[in-house]
Amino acid sequence: MSVETILVFNNLFAILTLIAAAGSIGLLVYRAVKGPEAVALLGDKAIWLAFTVALVATIGSLLYSDAFHYVPCRLCWFQRIAMYPLTIVLLVGAIRREAVVKFYALPIALIGLAVSIYHNFVQFFPSLEGGSCDPAVPCSARSIEMFGFMDLPFMAGIGFIVIAVLLAFYTKASE
Amino acid sequence: MTATKKPKPGTKDTKSYSTLWWILGGIVGLGLIVALAFSIASEEPVDESLGYGDPTVTGDPLPVYAAGQEDVSVGLTAPTVEGADWEGNPVTIEANGTPKIIAFLAHWCPHCQADVPVIQQWVNDGNLPDDVELISVATATDRLRPNWPPQDWLEEEGWTAPVIMDDQIGTVAGNYGMSGTPFYVVLDGQNTNLGRVSGEIGTEGVEALVALAQSSEQ
Repeated sequence: MSVETILVFNNLFAILTLIAAAGSIGLLVYRAVKGPEAVALLGDKAIWLAFTVALVATIGSLLYSDAFHYVPCRLCWFQRIAMYPLTIVLLVGAIRREAVVKFYALPIALIGLAVSIYHNFVQFFPSLEGGSCDPAVPCSARSIEMFGFMDLPFMAGIGFIVIAVLLAFYTKASE
Repeated sequence: MTATKKPKPGTKDTKSYSTLWWILGGIVGLGLIVALAFSIASEEPVDESLGYGDPTVTGDPLPVYAAGQEDVSVGLTAPTVEGADWEGNPVTIEANGTPKIIAFLAHWCPHCQADVPVIQQWVNDGNLPDDVELISVATATDRLRPNWPPQDWLEEEGWTAPVIMDDQIGTVAGNYGMSGTPFYVVLDGQNTNLGRVSGEIGTEGVEALVALAQSSEQ
C-alpha cells in the first residue's frame, strides 16, 4: 500500500471522526435544549447509526493492521476487543428492534472508551508505559498524527462516545 | 382525472421516503468526505527518501540489548559505521582513539523527544568533555509517523551532535542491538562496547555515560 493511499485514509478517518464528534455534541446539546422529547429526533435510526459507527471503526481497524501493516499495541488490542463485538451486537439489536440491546452494548462501549481515554493519556504522559519505545508497537507513541493531535486511540474513543450517545437516544425513543 | 395520493404522516410510505433520504444523504456526504480526504492528502508533500541514509556497517553485530539483564556484549568490539548526515556530510563511528557515546533516536518517539532538548541544553552549557564524542543515529524513520522528517526535528531542537541517517531497515541500529528508543551505546577509543542503555536518561544519565566513557582512558 502506497504512502499516498494511507494518507488519504488517514484524512478520511480523521474527517469522519470530527464529524462524528460534532454530531454527538450536537445531539447532547439538542437533548439539553429540547429536554426528554429530543430523543424522538432519530427514532429507530439511532441504532443503525450506532451500528454504522462500529462497522466503520472495525473496518478501519482491520485496514490499518492488515492492509497498512500497523501492528496494534497492547492497548489497541483492548479497544479492538470492545469495538469488534459491538458491530455484531448492534446489528442484531437493530434488526430485531430490541431496546434491550443497550444493556449489552453500552457496557462494552464504556469499557472501550475507558481504555481509549487511558491510551490517549499514555500518549500525553509516555512514562506511564515505561521509559523507552518499542520501535514496532509503542503504545506511548502516536502511530499517526492528524490535524496535530488526532491518533487512532482518539478516533476509537470518539467512536465509543458516539455509540454510547446514540444508544442513549435509541433507548429513550423505544420506550 | 386521478388525484395523486399524498402519503399520510406516520404511514409506511413516509417512513420509506425518510429512510431513502437518509441513505441518499449518507452517500452524498460520504462522497464529499472522500473528496476532501483526497484533496488534503494530495496537498501534503511526499518524499519517502527524506530521513534515510545509506550507511555502511562492517564488523560483527552486537547482540540485541535486553533491558534489566546483564549486557553480554560489554567488552565486544562494536561495528564500524560509515554514514552521512542529511546534507551528505560524512559521519563515522570508528576506532579513532576517542571514547564515544552513540545516541539512537527516532523522530516519533516521545522519550527521544524528551531527551534531545535536555541533552542539547546540557551540551550547550559546556558539559560535554573534549575527550568524549557524542554521535547520534536517526533511526526507525517512518514517513507516516509524526514529527517527520527527523532532520527537521533535530534542527528545530538545535541538535549539534553529528547525525548518521540510518537506512530504511535500520541497519546501524540492528547492528548495535537496539531494542527500543532512545538507545545509548558507550564505546571506548577502540570501539569496544562499555555499556548500553535504553530509555530516557536525562542529564544524570548522560553524565553517567560520560563517566563510563572516560573510565576507559584511565
